[in-house]
Amino acid sequence: MIDNKKTSAMSPEELSEKYEKTKESLDQLRGMLMPFLKAQYEKNRKSLERREKIKIFLIHLVIIICCFICIYPLLRIFSISLRPGDKLFSTDLSLIPDGATFSAYVSLLKNTNFLRWLWNSLVITIATSFIGVSLASTAAYAFSRFRFPGKKIGMIILLSSQMIPAGMLILPLFLMIMKMNLMNSYLGMIIAYSVSSLPFSIWILKGYYDTIPRSLEEAALVDGTSAVGAFWRIILPLSTPALSIAFLFNFTTAWNEYLVARVVLFSSQQYTWTLGLFELQGQYLTQWGMFAAGSMLVTIPVLIVFLYSSKWLISGLTLGSVKG
Amino acid sequence: MELLKSLYEVGWFLLLIVAGVGVLEGYFYTHFRFYDRKWFFPVLLSVVPLLFWGIFGNMLGGHTFALWLYFLLAEGLIAAFFRYIVKGQHTVPYMLIATAFVGLALLLVYPFVFEFYLSFHDLKLTTIMAWKETGQIPFVWFKQYVNVFTTSPLNDVSIWMLLWRTFLWTFTNVFFHVLGGFALALLLNNNIKGKGIYRTLLVIPWAMPQVVAVLAMRGEFHAENGFVNILLNRLVEWWPALANIGIGPVQWLSNYPLTTCTIINVWLGIPFMMVVILGGLQSISKSYYDAADIDGATYFQKLRYITLPLVKPVAMPAITLGTIWTFNNINVIYLVTGQAGGTEKADILVSAMYKAAFTYNRYSYSAAFAIVIFILLFSISVFYLHGLDAAKED
Repeated sequence: MIDNKKTSAMSPEELSEKYEKTKESLDQLRGMLMPFLKAQYEKNRKSLERREKIKIFLIHLVIIICCFICIYPLLRIFSISLRPGDKLFSTDLSLIPDGATFSAYVSLLKNTNFLRWLWNSLVITIATSFIGVSLASTAAYAFSRFRFPGKKIGMIILLSSQMIPAGMLILPLFLMIMKMNLMNSYLGMIIAYSVSSLPFSIWILKGYYDTIPRSLEEAALVDGTSAVGAFWRIILPLSTPALSIAFLFNFTTAWNEYLVARVVLFSSQQYTWTLGLFELQGQYLTQWGMFAAGSMLVTIPVLIVFLYSSKWLISGLTLGSVKG
Repeated sequence: MELLKSLYEVGWFLLLIVAGVGVLEGYFYTHFRFYDRKWFFPVLLSVVPLLFWGIFGNMLGGHTFALWLYFLLAEGLIAAFFRYIVKGQHTVPYMLIATAFVGLALLLVYPFVFEFYLSFHDLKLTTIMAWKETGQIPFVWFKQYVNVFTTSPLNDVSIWMLLWRTFLWTFTNVFFHVLGGFALALLLNNNIKGKGIYRTLLVIPWAMPQVVAVLAMRGEFHAENGFVNILLNRLVEWWPALANIGIGPVQWLSNYPLTTCTIINVWLGIPFMMVVILGGLQSISKSYYDAADIDGATYFQKLRYITLPLVKPVAMPAITLGTIWTFNNINVIYLVTGQAGGTEKADILVSAMYKAAFTYNRYSYSAAFAIVIFILLFSISVFYLHGLDAAKED
């Protein structure tokens, strides 16, 4: 109130003069402060940036160390596989050893059944995966599209079958295979492996089928195909990605399996590669070089396939877990 | 008793036949609608088992009557199922799931039942040939279960020691998996260059075939040629004071096998946790962190009140799965210690079960052991799930 009266008492000239004066003094003040503020800002910014840089550098450093720990055993295996026979047990830590040769690879292929082992693994694994995926794809379709008595119980049985520890079933499976006279044969191994990843495959495929719109099949049914025809001609071609995930999952499970193979197969001719490598590694490390060479030959294709497909594999895994 | 036993012995064979007949009959019932006719049910019940008796009666020897009874029962169940439950409406879905469920019944459920059967009998190296020829094994009631708690599955480790080791093993492994996975995921979730390459390199232990990874790591723990001891040796040479406080090369595989197995399994298991947790972290919206920044939250407050609660729903299933996997992990321990002359100082319950069956050939003992482990795991899971439900309701 008081201020208002005071200003109203002033003339316009006085007002503008006062305004100019105030502005001038403010400008002066700003001129004095600005360099200081700028310097301060600059200093803060620099220290922040430096801190950020140090942080990023530290993160990179830690991650690189972790990466190194992750791949070091693989690099070691690679370097051992290149060592000449007389230096197998040196304590040398260099990546490419002196006098590197491929002699371990040559003797692995020449003197052991390595190729035969790979072939055995391949036959068993591919047969298993085909059986697994074909059983799973039809069952998952029934669970995804039809309502029938026992559907819920069926899903519960599937999930609870995962509760039975796999290690527990090795003994009865072994005895069954023995009773059927299928020891040491492909068929016995395929029987033992074929349903091990079935519940998981059904789960993944059901999740994927659920995302395919029903109208596609309805259109096909209107056009006169049967339910089975709609499944065969429409659903299967559309779900190739999920089918390949399931196939890959079945494949890697059977390909890397060791414990069942250990008890079912007993002649070197019939070994899978896992048994073969275990045999080569031995207790006294006598065939260390050949073991390393074999490991490299097995690991590299698996790594390439895994890294190429990991995006889908991981999305498939999370798909299953989120739906559950 | 005799009757029951004979049923068990041919059980798997019958299961196969009944499942096959069931699928076939189901098709006929529903396709031709025979189930509507009044005469069909009684005729089927009398004719099919008689036919079966005629065809297989001579082949199966002494158990014909029991088999006939069994078959009659199964036939009745199949017919009733199709007549009263299915009523011809659900042919397609049943045909679709039939193969998968027959497979599961034969290779998952039947072995499980068979394990129960074994655990009440005495199958070992001396009786296995007789069993293979004639199917006869001595019945011993609960003797195997008493043996599980009073004698050692291996040379001199008791079940209590194994139990303690199993819990120690599971806890340490899962703890380090989650800790390491979470730390790496947090680091990778920053805005840094080369994230893709880092992630690829970090998942390599998971991507490698497990047999190769474990055997390679086992080689690295070898007393003279292994990388770990070479490194420790050089460390001690470089800084001799370390030797005074007990750091130096040790006999990993013979003196500290459980530690070795744990280190190897931690190395193997971190990438999986990392990938799962990273997926959870990337799905958290950045706006939460911006809001927290405006409120002046510190890094640890943000971690505690934003990151952890939002990652939990993704991480919990993975941790549960990881716990079960670790509890059941025979692979790592057997690959490290399973060779001839290997130590038993690292064995946990499941690996002792495996060795009891296939190194010591005590099949029935191992079956009883497996049932005990299963009951243990089952009750822990039920307890845990119950706790989880209670926590959800709060």
